[in-house]
Amino acid sequence: MNNIEQYLLNDDQVADFIINGYHIVETPLSPEFHDGIYSKLNNLPSNPGDKINIAVPELNKVYDHPSLRGPLESILGEKYSIGEHRHCHKNHPGTRSQIWHQDNLNIPTLMDGHNRSPDHIKSVLVMYYPQEVKSNMGPTALIPGSHLFRSAPDRNASQGNFRDQKIATLKVGSLLILHYDIWHAGTANTSNKIRYMVKYLFERKKESEKPTWNHNPSNKAHILERLERDDSATLQKSLIHKRNFLRTKMWNNIAGNGSLEYKYHDKWSGSWPEPKM
Amino acid sequence: MSLKQRILYLSAESTDPKSSTLSQALHEPLKNDIVEIDPTSEGLDYKTVHEAVVDGWRIVHFPDQRSSIANSEEEIIGFQFILEKIEDYSE
Repeated sequence: MNNIEQYLLNDDQVADFIINGYHIVETPLSPEFHDGIYSKLNNLPSNPGDKINIAVPELNKVYDHPSLRGPLESILGEKYSIGEHRHCHKNHPGTRSQIWHQDNLNIPTLMDGHNRSPDHIKSVLVMYYPQEVKSNMGPTALIPGSHLFRSAPDRNASQGNFRDQKIATLKVGSLLILHYDIWHAGTANTSNKIRYMVKYLFERKKESEKPTWNHNPSNKAHILERLERDDSATLQKSLIHKRNFLRTKMWNNIAGNGSLEYKYHDKWSGSWPEPKM
Repeated sequence: MSLKQRILYLSAESTDPKSSTLSQALHEPLKNDIVEIDPTSEGLDYKTVHEAVVDGWRIVHFPDQRSSIANSEEEIIGFQFILEKIEDYSE
């Protein structure tokens, strides 16, 4: 049960995280276990803030589960640490949507002051939902791939719905691992049920000397092609090269000796295009 | 009944009004109008800004051709057009 080997990500899953900035974990813990956490949260007389793990110790079982530790070790390296800042978001029926934002910098409890890391994975947010989250229950909204860019929330405030936004409707007890810099927002809860989300931070402790996931060196060409070609949320074309550069740099920064090298290859040879009628 | 301004923010993939729209926010001239991310949204109302113009919207603001904020590391996704419709509106 404590063996995380079976939960380590593979090359494509790490590439997915680099491309989109999020990964969803569904733990094998029972729905009844998550229901119990929901009830305890619902009975808290006040917000325990960073001490939410003491007020509801069952959260330790969630955040220490191998199905979460495997993906975390994959993207943060070995011996990652847990941040002191924790928060329980209580989203009442009638709560309105937030605007698109990246989480705040310079939280004093964080070790390095958290400059943005658009070319690295130095820290992640892990959001835990002790209940099923339907689209009318205030699901977290994300812009896939936005972690590669520094946002200006006040200037983005007029943008509303994005065509390619991801609405995180989730099964009971799911965990959402987010690159710290992803643009996200809590949305409106129009249901009649309180939606809880508990947020923890996890941080890289050291640079990796080798991939800390299930890496197969023979996948390098395939991964390089994905980082160059896979779409996430649609962007203006003038940002595509910056996006692709940051993706590859991010892979290389977490992969140690599994880094990718650009080698010229002729992408254009082959059959002529068919005439368009 | 009175004439009021409806405002539609559309961000597009380029400064070309026929390029694909990326985001949308519609402001109705109502006192309690709420504009926010809609998790039940099934997509944007218009595939291009031009499509909105064909539907009667009038462009009142064209995007700057400089794609990002000048001399800043911050990025804005898309190029924003602002459109209006003046219509008879009642609360």
